[in-house]
Amino acid sequence: MLIGKRDFFNFLTGSLPNFDNVIVAEKEISSSVLYLKKIGKDAGKKIELNSFRSTNPLKYFLYHVREKVYPAEEKFPLNIIVGVKACDLKAVQILDKALLNENFTDPAYYQWRKNTYLVSADCDEITESCHCNLVDGKPFADEGYDLNLSSLDGYYEITVGSGKGKNLVDRMTKEFSIKDSSDEERKIIKEKREQVLKKLIEQNKDSSRKENYGRFRNVEMKNWEDESSNCVGCGACTNICPTCYCIILNDESKLKSEEFIKVRSYDSCQWFGYARVAGGGTPRSKMHQRFRNRYLCKFDYMPSNFAETGCTGCGRCIDACPAGIDFRKVVHNTSINAEQLI
Amino acid sequence: MQNPYEVIPSYLYEIIQESPLIRTLRLKPEKPLQFKTGQFIELSVPGIGEGPFTPSSSHYINDNLDVTVMKTGFVTGYIHTARAGDTLGIRGPFGSHYPLEKFKGKDVLILGGGCGLAPLRSLFLTMLTENKDYNSITFCAGAKTPKDCIYKDEVSEWRKYENVRFIRAVDAVPEGEEWDEDVCLVTKLLEKVQLHADGNPAVVCGPPVMMKFGTKDLLKFGYKEENIYLSMEKKMYCGFGQCRHCVMGKYYACKDGPVFTYDRIKNEEAIWE
Repeated sequence: MLIGKRDFFNFLTGSLPNFDNVIVAEKEISSSVLYLKKIGKDAGKKIELNSFRSTNPLKYFLYHVREKVYPAEEKFPLNIIVGVKACDLKAVQILDKALLNENFTDPAYYQWRKNTYLVSADCDEITESCHCNLVDGKPFADEGYDLNLSSLDGYYEITVGSGKGKNLVDRMTKEFSIKDSSDEERKIIKEKREQVLKKLIEQNKDSSRKENYGRFRNVEMKNWEDESSNCVGCGACTNICPTCYCIILNDESKLKSEEFIKVRSYDSCQWFGYARVAGGGTPRSKMHQRFRNRYLCKFDYMPSNFAETGCTGCGRCIDACPAGIDFRKVVHNTSINAEQLI
Repeated sequence: MQNPYEVIPSYLYEIIQESPLIRTLRLKPEKPLQFKTGQFIELSVPGIGEGPFTPSSSHYINDNLDVTVMKTGFVTGYIHTARAGDTLGIRGPFGSHYPLEKFKGKDVLILGGGCGLAPLRSLFLTMLTENKDYNSITFCAGAKTPKDCIYKDEVSEWRKYENVRFIRAVDAVPEGEEWDEDVCLVTKLLEKVQLHADGNPAVVCGPPVMMKFGTKDLLKFGYKEENIYLSMEKKMYCGFGQCRHCVMGKYYACKDGPVFTYDRIKNEEAIWE
């Protein structure tokens, strides 16, 4: 079904759904990147939902950089995030498996997930670091959204993905005119999706060796020493990665207090102190060992734990790296070395 | 919804100085903690931080528990400054436990060194409650020097049981210290005791290097990989597989362990580091 773009934003910022925060992918003025940002009532002009993925990953809004977990917060705002990309939705599936399973539920993540509507949008553009096609991803979402938007001139084609999404559309229909899309219009969307996928495949044609991911563990250390030679171990890659969820748990109680406060914040396996135990021992004292751990986590450990590759191909780690390390190239080179092991 | 990060304030009612670096803290949690021997808890010092420790008391005692802590880093340094009357925090219990039901009727070997004796004392005391259920219990304990030996006051009590053997060794006896038991590496004690490897369990905990060579020796003596129980104490930070600090390949020491049989983890990397 189709809704006018202007109408859609009027609906979002209107009084009926009454969201506490409307968070939208927005292009920075005089910049080519997008950020997921909270918008006010007058927004709408700079919004480019169907461009490529935002610089900040979706996890920043569901699994905060720093968050009190004990005693747990009770009130959470009602949020809607619009312009989420397929790669980030895939990441949320991994976070769900890690943080909402039968053995463990992170209370804050649970609340943010419950109170946040996710509205995805097809990628009509790609950026240089995009490579979802290398990890079985696509530049549009098949699942994991409440609503999905495909851009069509002045309209959005809306696809409903959940009961939550359906309720939203029901409210929308009361206020705004919504019409059914024609076969012709759906065909245009399908073709656009295929074109973007083609562009992605062309962009990444030199780095496609996913059949070797499972063998990374056996690749010799020399490979990792070479690939990590420029790495400064800053941890920008893990901080911005949409599937990294390692944390430290700080005790922020007052000294000698009997009321305990626990706050979690992001940690990085790239940092020396990460796995160090009291007394100084650590299983990964060298940079190349920690560098390797990140790749094995994505391509070996996460697949064993969650039956999913831990990389969604968003390419943010490539953009964030101050040493200019291209994740794709590391994976590619490692794959070649892995192939020689057969 | 139960908050997995819940902290139970616990009253510290007694401190036992076991050795120059090791203390046993006796705590009374605000509500009883139902742990199973081998599981661990996170012990917090308010405003400072927390660390993983395996209780060293029997799991049949619910309303208080002992935690044996070696002063070796930041948090343990603060734990050693705690005084009787202070309140510390406990989260947990977490992780896997020793499968006592599999040990029943068997000749159980326990091998430990240094502060690794803490979880083994818990196992040992739990087993002593129903010692007749086990064919025999042999406990080989090691320490660096006589003054590093812990649980000194309890040893004579432990040696009273008919089917229980407790022997210990120190690596060296410095001048001025007295010792009339064995002087050797704890793994050497294995050669002294009558081992019944066939199908019987062996439980190992201690410094990584001791666990590594202890496991090798046990295999040499004919213990099966699946009967060697190792307490893999890594940096267990959260306790439920969220923070990933204790990852050992596809396993988490906190969730899948800390008690592992050797056959499960032998192919994972850096397990002894």
